[in-house]
Amino acid sequence: MGVSATITMIFAAVLMLLIVLGFVTYAIYFERKVLGWMQLRIGPNRTGPFGLLQSVADVFKLLIKEDTIPSKADRALFILAPAIAFVPSFAVIATLPFGENLYFADLNVGLLYYGALSSISTMGIILGGWASNNKYSLLGGMRSAAQMISYEVPLILSMVGVILMSGSLNLRVIVEGQEGWFWQWNLFPQIIAFGVFIIAAISELNRTPFDLPEAESELVAGYHVEYSGFRFAFFMLAEYTYMFAVSALTTVLFLGGWHAPAPFLEFIPGFIWFVLKFAGCVFFLFWIRASMPRIRVDQLMGLAWKVLLPIALVNIFLTAFVKMLLQ
Amino acid sequence: MKGIAKGLGVTLRGLTTKKVTHNYPDEPLNMPDRFRGVQHFIPELCIVCNQCARICPTECITLTGKPNPDPEKRVKLIDTFDINFEICILCDLCTEVCPTEAIVMTNNFELATYSRDDLMKDKDWLSDNNTNIRSENSRNLSPAAAKGGAK
Repeated sequence: MGVSATITMIFAAVLMLLIVLGFVTYAIYFERKVLGWMQLRIGPNRTGPFGLLQSVADVFKLLIKEDTIPSKADRALFILAPAIAFVPSFAVIATLPFGENLYFADLNVGLLYYGALSSISTMGIILGGWASNNKYSLLGGMRSAAQMISYEVPLILSMVGVILMSGSLNLRVIVEGQEGWFWQWNLFPQIIAFGVFIIAAISELNRTPFDLPEAESELVAGYHVEYSGFRFAFFMLAEYTYMFAVSALTTVLFLGGWHAPAPFLEFIPGFIWFVLKFAGCVFFLFWIRASMPRIRVDQLMGLAWKVLLPIALVNIFLTAFVKMLLQ
Repeated sequence: MKGIAKGLGVTLRGLTTKKVTHNYPDEPLNMPDRFRGVQHFIPELCIVCNQCARICPTECITLTGKPNPDPEKRVKLIDTFDINFEICILCDLCTEVCPTEAIVMTNNFELATYSRDDLMKDKDWLSDNNTNIRSENSRNLSPAAAKGGAK
């Protein structure tokens, strides 16, 4: 790789980081707005016009707060943990195709790369819980890790149905296989996988109804009890970056990526379609959060292993069987 | 499944339904008539009978009278009249016992100040507190209420 190519790459990565930061800022704002509207309130409206500066103010508050590190904490790991949680969440974006020619890396194992990297974030969470040297954060970290690892299994297995449909792990090829009318998107042939994927993905994101790791009304917080200031902000940033990544992944895997819902609508650029579908996914996450109570902790593991996993497995065999019949 | 869909429907409708919150500090909140707010005092009507001070459960009213300058009239005139809003519970009893309706309720309720001393309100302040006065007091009941009583 030449020098100019490297510089272009770094520039593009920085631009992407800025886009993600902007997304996170306004995702939080819209989350609070949507939650407010759904609860018959109006949401944040005091800071800036329409409250648009609310999350900027919140982030600024976090940045100027005292950065506390407990004296008995494992200092190195305590500092490292938020970075370990955040870096994979940003790195997975590299493989997501946002448009026909708009992607960072055209990996032929894109989906595998996504799955592998996103499980590294669990490490950051466990490390954060362990390095705090606090029994509550350790328990919280263990709980989150158990949840995230359990739900990763049905999440990956539900992707297998999509992989069988397109015969490739390359996310770009998966999108290309969904060209045409909207019923050719993987959403409809793979409706079972889609259901499992959505549930498992929400759980991976630690969002309501699976927000047990930091259940506000039950615990003080989970693995990040001892974190303050910008290290805490980093954990939150990782969570919202994953929201970006998972919404984009849902769009790519099930909603036809950059393809228009009908061939005659192809004149509208693919990127716009991608953004629309992506925004729909993000809104769906907020909507679910506004609607559902938290799942009970004793039902959490049962749902993953006894319900979602068998359904995902059945879906794989069903897909393979139908595909064989059609040949 | 059906329950989840129903719940999602409820929250989706919530997006467009009228919001129940008030824009309170920006827009004043209009209380209903008969709200028990800060009292309005009319010194000209007061006969210094002391009933309000005696009925007050928190003893927050202190008043003094002075002899009438007109020697023909025996009724005293009010000299000082203070309500201590640190302890006043806005119970409405003083306005009920007042035989001349010299003290009546208003719908105003904003009493917050930076100093506790400011909560001691005197005759002039209470007399100037003359907005949003309760329209229906025991002396001037509306015809329907006077006839049929409470329904």
